[in-house]
Amino acid sequence: MATMTLGGAINAGLRKALEDDDRVVVMGEDVGVLGGVFRVTDGLLKDFGEGRVVDTPLSESGIVGTAIGLALRGYRPVCEIQFDGFVYPAFNQIVSQLAKMRARSGGLLSFPIVIRIPVGGGIGAVEHHSESNEAYFAHTAGLRVVSCSNPDDAFHMIQQAIASDDPVIFYEPKRRYWDKGEVSDTSSFDLHQASVLREGTDCTLVAHGPAVTTAMAAAAASAEDGFSVGVVDLRTISPLDVETLQTVSRVSGRVVVVHEASTFAGIGAEIAALISESCFYELEAPVLRVGAYNMPYPPASVEDDFLPDVDRVLEAVARSLSY
Amino acid sequence: MIEFALPDVGEGLTEAEIVTWHVVVGDSVEINDTLVEIETAKSIVELPSPTAGIISAVHVDVGKTVDVGTIIVSIDDGVAAPAGMPSLEPETVESAAEGEPEEKPLVLVGKVPTAAVPRKRHLGSKKSAPASKTPVLAPPARPTDRPIRTKPPVRLLAKQLGVDLANIVPADGDVISRSDVERAASPASDVAVAVDTPRESRVPIKGVRKVTAAAMTKSAFTAPHVTVWLTVDVTKSMDMVKRLKADRNWQGVRLTPFVFVARAFLLAIQRFPDINARWDEEAQEIVLQHYVNLGIAVATPRGLIVPNIKDSDRLDLTGLANALDALVQTARSGKTSPEEMSHGTITITNIGALGVDAGTPILNPSEAAILAFGAVREMPWVVNGEIVPRMVAQLAMSFDHRLVDGALGSHVLAKVGRLLNDPGEAFLYV
Amino acid sequence: MSTSTVVEDHFSKFAPDRDGQPLFQLIDPTGKPTSAGESFGIDVELAQELYSDMVMARRLDKEALALQRQGELSLWLMSWGQEAAQVGSIRALRSTDMVFPSYREHAAALCRGISPADLMRQWKGAAHSGWDPAESRFHIYSLVLGTQTLHATGYAAGVVLEKSDEVVATYFGDGAASQGDVNEAFNWAAVGSLPVLFFCQNNQWAISTPTATQMRTPLHVRAAGFGLDSYHVDGNDVMAVHAVTTRAVERIRDGGGPALIEAQTYRFGGHSSSDDPKRYRSDDDFAAWELRDPLTRIETFLRNVGVGEDYFDELAEEENAFAATVREACKNIIGIPLVELFDRVYAEPHATLDLEAAAHAAHLASLGSEG
Repeated sequence: MATMTLGGAINAGLRKALEDDDRVVVMGEDVGVLGGVFRVTDGLLKDFGEGRVVDTPLSESGIVGTAIGLALRGYRPVCEIQFDGFVYPAFNQIVSQLAKMRARSGGLLSFPIVIRIPVGGGIGAVEHHSESNEAYFAHTAGLRVVSCSNPDDAFHMIQQAIASDDPVIFYEPKRRYWDKGEVSDTSSFDLHQASVLREGTDCTLVAHGPAVTTAMAAAAASAEDGFSVGVVDLRTISPLDVETLQTVSRVSGRVVVVHEASTFAGIGAEIAALISESCFYELEAPVLRVGAYNMPYPPASVEDDFLPDVDRVLEAVARSLSY
Repeated sequence: MIEFALPDVGEGLTEAEIVTWHVVVGDSVEINDTLVEIETAKSIVELPSPTAGIISAVHVDVGKTVDVGTIIVSIDDGVAAPAGMPSLEPETVESAAEGEPEEKPLVLVGKVPTAAVPRKRHLGSKKSAPASKTPVLAPPARPTDRPIRTKPPVRLLAKQLGVDLANIVPADGDVISRSDVERAASPASDVAVAVDTPRESRVPIKGVRKVTAAAMTKSAFTAPHVTVWLTVDVTKSMDMVKRLKADRNWQGVRLTPFVFVARAFLLAIQRFPDINARWDEEAQEIVLQHYVNLGIAVATPRGLIVPNIKDSDRLDLTGLANALDALVQTARSGKTSPEEMSHGTITITNIGALGVDAGTPILNPSEAAILAFGAVREMPWVVNGEIVPRMVAQLAMSFDHRLVDGALGSHVLAKVGRLLNDPGEAFLYV
Repeated sequence: MSTSTVVEDHFSKFAPDRDGQPLFQLIDPTGKPTSAGESFGIDVELAQELYSDMVMARRLDKEALALQRQGELSLWLMSWGQEAAQVGSIRALRSTDMVFPSYREHAAALCRGISPADLMRQWKGAAHSGWDPAESRFHIYSLVLGTQTLHATGYAAGVVLEKSDEVVATYFGDGAASQGDVNEAFNWAAVGSLPVLFFCQNNQWAISTPTATQMRTPLHVRAAGFGLDSYHVDGNDVMAVHAVTTRAVERIRDGGGPALIEAQTYRFGGHSSSDDPKRYRSDDDFAAWELRDPLTRIETFLRNVGVGEDYFDELAEEENAFAATVREACKNIIGIPLVELFDRVYAEPHATLDLEAAAHAAHLASLGSEG
C-alpha cells in the first residue's frame, strides 16, 4: 500500500511494466527528457534509456502508425497522445488501421498497443485540451476502451492494459492527475470489470473517469437529503461490464448515467439502451443521462456550466425518482 | 488591500510549495516585482506582484505546501478593502518532503468533501411530486388509441393479481400507479365512493369481492355441481384432538378438528386420486394431478380468499397443522401472495365455524371437488342399540359431475367419514 | 564497372542538398551591419518603426506572463525572443494579405491592429478567439498544430480563382512541420502553384523536443523536394526578415508560386506558462541565444547610427503606458455566459441543441428558485 497521485500511480505502473517486459516501449511527444507535460513519464528515460522511452517527432499520426509497425515487429508500444484534442490527426491510423488489422489478418496479427490519452475538462484549459471523445473509439470495433478514475485503478489498469494483446485506448482524467489516493499492491479486479463504489436502493449513478468524483458527491448530497443513491464506476467502456450494470439496475430500478462527454450520442445512450432492454420490468423510470451539451467545448470561463455538476446530477436523480 | 491568492499556474494544478520569499513584511513593491518562488508538480515558478504597495503580511512559511486559492500574502495598495470581505484562513497541508501525514482524508476517487456537499439543488421528500413532471427533453405527446398508461412493473403486478387495467381509474393524473392496482385487488376498507341515501347505501363492486364474484359465477355456470351429504359421529376424532392437545409433545402445534378433517380428506384423496383432477376444456383432457395443493377457504376482512397449501399430501399431521395455521394467520393479516392463491387442486371449507351444519359449497374454479365441514355438536346417536350423546358433524362435498361420477364422489365422502369416525381406520390401508 | 559503381556514378552528379542554404543576415548580433547589410543599405527609419513594434510586443508578452502568474490569465504562450521574425515578416506584407497564424504570433497580431484585450481573451478563458479575421486579415489562432497551413492553402486557391494578386501567409513552427497537414500543404500549394508564403519560425524547441530530434535536414531543404522556393534567414535580424519576406512576397505576387521561409529564432520562454524549460534545456543554450537577442541588436544598431536618447526615452514612456493598458485590458475581460453560446454553434436552427438550450435555461431557473 502506498499513497500516490493519479499521475504518479500511472508512472509507477508504467515503470513496473517496463521492468517486467523488455518489449514494452513508451513513446510520445516530450515523454522522455521532460517526463511528459503532466509528468506521468517522469524519470523513466533516465532508468530505461532512449531505446525504451522515446521522444517522438511532433506527429500523432506518426506515433500511432509507427507503433503499429513496432507491434508487428514484436514490441508492446505504450503511446502517449499529449491531449485528447490532439488525437484526431491519429484518428485515421487508429480507426482504419489499428482497430481493423487483426480482423483483416484473420486473427493472425496481434497489436498489444496502449494509447494513453489525458481526457476531460475542468482545468481552465484552452481549446482542444478538454475533450471527451471516448464515443468515437467505443464505436470503433476492434478497440478496447478503458477509463480510470482514481490512483489505485490507474496503477493496476495501466499494467493490465499493457498486458492485453489487443489495442487499448487508455483514458486518464487529467483534472484528477494530482488527486491522491491509496494504491494497493495487488489488484482486486480485472481490466473490464466495473466497480461498485457505493450501494444504493433508490437510484444508481453510472459514471467513468473524471465524472466519478461528481457522481460520488451527488450521492453524498442525496444521502444528506435522505436518499440511498449508489455509484458505479464503469472502468471499462468497451466492453461494458454488462452483468454489473444489470445487477445494480435491478436493485434500484432507477439509473442515471453521468459523463463529461456530450449527452447526445454519447456512451450513456448505449448504456441506457442496454439497461432498458435487459431490465425492462425492473425499471421504475427510464434511464436518464447527464452529460455536456451538444456544442464544441466552450471557453474555460463557462466550462463549469457546461460540464455536468452535482446540481445537474441531482436534477436527474429527482426526475428519476418522480416516475 | 490586495489579498493575493495562490493561482493555478499550470492548467489544473491543485497545490504548490513555497520555496523562497523575495519580500518581507514592510517591503515596498512595484507591479510585477517578484514576490515569491513556488514549486508545483510541473516546475518552479516566480510569482510577480499584481500591484504596487507595501507588503502587509506573509501568510505561508517557506517549505509549506498550500492549495491553489489560499491567500499567501497581503499587500497594502492604499485602497480600502470592500466591506464584508471574508477572512480567508489558509489551509495548510504538510509537504510530502517533510514526511508528515496529510491532514486531509485521502479518498479513492479524489477530493470528496467530508463536510456537506456544495450544491444548490436538494432532493424533495420521498415520493412527492417533482418540480416539473414533464422533463424538457421528453418527446411531444403523441395521439394514441391506447388509453392505458402505466409502467412495466405495474403492468406485471396487475397481471399477477388478475386485475384488469382497463377498469382502473388512476387516483392521480393519467398514469396508473402501483397503489391504484393494489387497491383494485383488495376491496377498500377505506374508500366507499358511495352515494348514500337514508334508505340505501352503495358499496362499489371492486377488489376481492369482484374477483370472488367472478370466480363463483364462472364455476357455478361451467361445472355441473352435485353435492353429497354425510352425517358423522366424530367423537373418537374429538377425543384424539383433546388427548393430543394435552400431550406435552404436541404443545407447539395448533391442533383443531379442522386439521383432522383436512388430514382425513387428504387420506381419502390418496385412496381415490381421481378426485384430485382438472377439466381442461381447451385441450379436451382431464388432468390428473399427482400432487395436492389443498385450498382452504378463509374469511378475511377483505372478503373470501382461498390460499392453498402446496403439496399438502406430503405433510404429516404436524406439518399440516402448522401449514394451516400459518396460512390462516397470513390470510387474516392480508399478506397472502398471488402465488399462494394460485394452482390449487382441491379445497375444504370450514362452514361449521360459522355455526351451520352443512351447505352446497361452490367449486373453486378449475377444481373437481370441495368439502364443507359443518359444526360439531353433541347430538343423540344410536350406539349398540342405545341412544347416547355423541359429537356429531355433517360433511357436504360438491363435485364436478363432468369428471366425477356419483360413485366416486360418494366413495370419497364416505371414506372421509369413516376416518373421522375412527382415526384408526388410517392404520388399515396404505 | 561494377553495377553499384554505375548507379553511384549516375547519382553522384546529382547530390541532393542536405545542408541547406546559408543564413541571410543584414545586421549581426552585435548590431553591426554585415557585408550584405552594407550592400543592401539599412533603412534607419524602417528600423526604428520595426524596433518600436518589437518593444511593444515584448512588453505585452512580459506583462501577460506576469498576469498569468497573478491568476489573471489561465495560460500564456510567450512570443519572447521571436519578435523580429514576426514583426519583420508581417510588416513586409500588405495589410490586406490574409494571414493564418498558429498561436504564438502575438507580435504579428499587434502589427495587424489586434488589441491586447482581444489578444488575451482566449488565454483568459473568456472566449476561444478574440477578433474578427475579416477586420484584421488575421485568422483566429489555431491550437491544433499545422492545421492552418492547409487552411491557408485553400484560401489561396480561392484567391487564384478570383485572379487577385493577394498573397496568403501562414506561420508555423519547427515542431508543427512534422505534422502531416503541413507537408500536405507544401505539396498542395506547390502543385497548384498557389500564392502561399509558408513562414516557419524555427525557435529550436517543440516543448522539450529540440530540432535535432524533430527533423534530419534543415526545414527549408524540404522546399525543393516539394517544389517551393526557399529562403533561410536569421529570424532575430528584423531587417533581414523584412528584406527576405519582401523579396519572397514579390515573387509570389508575380505568379512565382509558393515559397517557404525558414527563420532561425529562439523561444526564450518555456512552451507556455505551464512549462519549465529548465527541465530539458541548458542554461548555456539560453545564454548563447541571449547574445543574439533581436531587440538589443537593433537597439545597438540604432545607437550606433546616432539615434538620440529622446527616441529611446519616448519609446520607454510609450512602453510603460502600453503596459498599463495591457494590464487594465486583461482585468476587464469578461466571458460570454453559456446560455448565449447555444446560438453560436450552428448557422441554422438545430432541434436537439435547441432542446438542450431550453433544458439548460430550465436548470438555471430551477436553481434560482430553490436558492
